[in-house]
Amino acid sequence: MYLTKEEERIYEGEEGWAYQIAMRILVKLGDLFEADRLIPIESAHVSGVSYKTIGDAAIEFLEALSETGAKAKVTSTANPAGIDYNHLEEMVKLPRLHEKQSRIIELYRNMGINPILTCTPYYIRRPKEDAHLAWAESSTVIYANSLLHSWTNREGGPSALASALIGKTPNYGIHKSENRQADVQVKVETVLRDEADFGALGIHTGRTLKDEIPFFEGLSRPEETQLKHLGSAMASTGMASLFYPCSSCPKSSERPETISVDAKDLRNAFEGLSTTNEDPDMVYIGCPHCSFEEIKQIAQKIKGKKIKNNVKLWICTSRYIRRKTENYVKIIEAAGGKVLSDTCAVVTWLKELGVDVLMTNSAKTAYYAPTMNNVETIFASLDLCIEAACRE
Amino acid sequence: MPIELKGRPIIKGLSRGKALVSRNPLSFLGGVDPKTGKIIEKNHDLNGERVTDTILCFPHGHGSTVGSYVLYSLVKRGVGPKAIVNETADPVVVVGAVIAEIPMVDKIDISQIRTGDLVEVDGDKGIVKILMRKESCT
Repeated sequence: MYLTKEEERIYEGEEGWAYQIAMRILVKLGDLFEADRLIPIESAHVSGVSYKTIGDAAIEFLEALSETGAKAKVTSTANPAGIDYNHLEEMVKLPRLHEKQSRIIELYRNMGINPILTCTPYYIRRPKEDAHLAWAESSTVIYANSLLHSWTNREGGPSALASALIGKTPNYGIHKSENRQADVQVKVETVLRDEADFGALGIHTGRTLKDEIPFFEGLSRPEETQLKHLGSAMASTGMASLFYPCSSCPKSSERPETISVDAKDLRNAFEGLSTTNEDPDMVYIGCPHCSFEEIKQIAQKIKGKKIKNNVKLWICTSRYIRRKTENYVKIIEAAGGKVLSDTCAVVTWLKELGVDVLMTNSAKTAYYAPTMNNVETIFASLDLCIEAACRE
Repeated sequence: MPIELKGRPIIKGLSRGKALVSRNPLSFLGGVDPKTGKIIEKNHDLNGERVTDTILCFPHGHGSTVGSYVLYSLVKRGVGPKAIVNETADPVVVVGAVIAEIPMVDKIDISQIRTGDLVEVDGDKGIVKILMRKESCT
């Protein structure tokens, strides 16, 4: 890979250990994927923030980096953490976890990475079309590429962090337009009713495609929220980082391979996301973090109702959206629901909160929670989730 | 004459030690205990073995990118491997070896290496030498 004189200096350690190690990460990944050079990025988004997922190993590395005084060179943001410090009454009560989590947030902040603690940074600051990014968090990546028309590979926590410190990323994968062409047509031969159906379609497609880029045929006027659920689910079961919601897109061949998804495929994917028929202890909405529209919709559905005494209703979003939707938040909280930010069900300590059965409209959460959180899941639409959370 | 296996240099450095060879991919996150270096991945052919001070040979990594931090932590605590030999390098293990600063070579036919062999990894040249077979090691 070609390096400029300046990049070589950093690689040799002339700017100190932290920048050197960051540059080495980028160069080694670039070599591995046959990148020709490094390209500047508009922003970085770093995953690996919750203490529940990263543990002590990552803290040691972040401390070593942060001690050198290294700072991000471009706008950089961070994914959700394990704790919402503004709603401690809802959080796990173990002081050790609180200390470790706040240390991690502090370390990122010290390095100039803005702890917005959300997986939907694009609701706060939308990247420019065609901008190159180094974003981690698979749902965020697929949203940026597919719905915002920005360009980012599917980074991991360490490589996004390295890109934040250097302000660049190796030029390979879908940073190149020839690698952004759709390879396969996904023909949807059934009607999708709501975001949960889109999620189930994502689970099925991700499993089937591996790392191919799909375009969809037969999604009539999909909403942004529905496509967000489709993408995040597809990225959970597969390596997808880009899809096209309709057939007007660049294609790798004139007659691409086609796969069909019928009502039975969708039903199998949908039903496979529930592991129990029991009643939920928690109903969870907010994976990926809710948009303004989603919070508004939930408030409208829940207005005048009351949450059951033995059920928690958690809605997760960013602090920014929570502030913007203050009036809707009041309606949800008057009913007994909780609107939390900075965290989500998957990256917090659900079991320790007494949750055994989690109900959600998020295919991604339903897919991960049985292994990541050791809970049973019920997967259903937003309407059914709200219904299950409320008294008759 | 030692057997010489030619691969691709990934991370520089020279290291010598006993090989620990697996046929299965390895996830460092959840698969290796960062405090003890013991492999805890379920149904793994090396389950219960320690990676400490070994030349760790496995086909490739899998699982979360947080695995890179686990490899860093293992090495900093003195319970990590001395070098890594893969069939196919993947981003999680490469980044882990970069930040842990241990030699790494890939594109090696690891079926040639047996657990317990004394091997030398040359990360600059991309060469793995089998210096002594297990049966003749004392």
